[in-house]
Amino acid sequence: MPEEINNRKVFSLTEMAQSIRNCIKHHYRNAFWIKAELNKLNHYSHSGHCYPDLMDKSQGKITAQMRATLWKDDYRQINRRFKEVLNEPLKDGIKILFLGQVKFDPVYGLSIHIIDIDPSYTLGDLAREKQETIRKLKDEGIFSRNKSKNLPMLPGRIAVISVETSKGYADFLRVVDDNPWRYKFFHMLFPALLQGDKAVYSIISQLLRIQRVQQHFDLVAIIRGGGGDIGLSAYNKYELAKAIALFPLPVLTGIGHATNETVTEMVAFQNEITPTKLAESLIHRYNDFSNQVRTAEVGVIRQGQKLLQQKKEKFLNLLHLLKLHAAGLIKEHKNLLTDSGREVRLHTNFITRQNKDYVLEANKRKIAQLPGVVLDRESKRFKTIITGISKESKTSISKNQIHLSDAEKSIRQMHPHNVLKRGYSITRKAGQAIKRADHLVQDDILETTFFDGKTKSIVIK
Amino acid sequence: MKDKPTYAEAFDELQTIVASMEEGEIGVDELAEKVKRAVALIAICKEKLFHTEEDVKQILKDLEEPEQP
Repeated sequence: MPEEINNRKVFSLTEMAQSIRNCIKHHYRNAFWIKAELNKLNHYSHSGHCYPDLMDKSQGKITAQMRATLWKDDYRQINRRFKEVLNEPLKDGIKILFLGQVKFDPVYGLSIHIIDIDPSYTLGDLAREKQETIRKLKDEGIFSRNKSKNLPMLPGRIAVISVETSKGYADFLRVVDDNPWRYKFFHMLFPALLQGDKAVYSIISQLLRIQRVQQHFDLVAIIRGGGGDIGLSAYNKYELAKAIALFPLPVLTGIGHATNETVTEMVAFQNEITPTKLAESLIHRYNDFSNQVRTAEVGVIRQGQKLLQQKKEKFLNLLHLLKLHAAGLIKEHKNLLTDSGREVRLHTNFITRQNKDYVLEANKRKIAQLPGVVLDRESKRFKTIITGISKESKTSISKNQIHLSDAEKSIRQMHPHNVLKRGYSITRKAGQAIKRADHLVQDDILETTFFDGKTKSIVIK
Repeated sequence: MKDKPTYAEAFDELQTIVASMEEGEIGVDELAEKVKRAVALIAICKEKLFHTEEDVKQILKDLEEPEQP
């Protein structure tokens, strides 16, 4: 009951809430069929109950949003029927036609109790459009086109499509620029709206700008964060999804939401839940590359040393073998030499005999050729000697001539005629020169020769 | 051989060298040369990790140029 405070009728919150509850209970006595988008199912597996988030939109803008309850047993039954009818379970993002009763709880507030959902009702706008987009892209054969692009090992040049002031962009830059390994990334912002219907055109126009300078970039990163889960329908639009699928560079998305994947994310080269995760995945690629280079570096050093060691051992083994073989060979050849020596002697004798005549003939020829040479040489020598001799003999002759004339003089003086001239005479008896007086006897007839004539005489004793 | 390989080419060549070394295909004479080459290639790879040559000004200039037909 209300109290009276300072002439005011004052209700407690409970009284007010109970009043609202009574009012609603009275007004919404019956259940109604309502259509809405099941933005989120919010199924709690532990209790089995669901607390769906219902939504209505007009021209991309949320026009109504309410909490709902779907109790365990109803959920099970409805979900079974959904699977039967749609080949899909009851899930986020579908448009539903449900039988619901508005309820107000003083503690939990306003909500709609879902009694039944008609699975035959078409999928919600978003989901239908999404399925349509996927189907069209697949029909055109471009759904996986961007995934087949080549992301370099070091994706270091990033064209960022984001909002400069967004939390997601700041998160991304922090991870990329302040990485503890000091990897260097180059990034450039291409600002775009990232939510609502205008996002489609905004993102596409930035993609076109990037395409014009694509040689400067390795990838495009679409980054959104902190914007909640609403306004993501743009990412299911065919035009945007197609632009991304066909983009010449790999497009990586980090749109940062908890609801199911949009088509844009599906066709992207790579999708990460948040901008931070996206940045980390790039760092991860750098780490991978760095580790591989490091491994290669270690491998080169280790293998180099190993190879050297192996070659060294091989060499030493070879050396050892060589020594062994060499010793064996030397011994072998020594024996061979001895044998050969013996054989050579044998053969030599044989050959000598055989070749004697031949050799002799050859030598003869050689010898025959020799005299000419020798003669020539010897005659020269001879000439020299003769010249020497004639020179020497002239001197000797003139010397001896002097001696001779002296001798002649002496000889001439010794001549008997000259001796007789000087008063000597020769006495002969019977033609014999008498040299002694006792050779004479009485009456011997003597003949005395003087220088100018002879005279006869008789010996008187 | 061309002037300077890109880091990707350098990386590939490096892997080839390591593989051939692991398979023991390299002779002693070749080894020194290969190790020297590997060191140069590693330097190219590391350089790429820590440096970038892109320039925002140049990209903006390219963006301003009239679109190619």
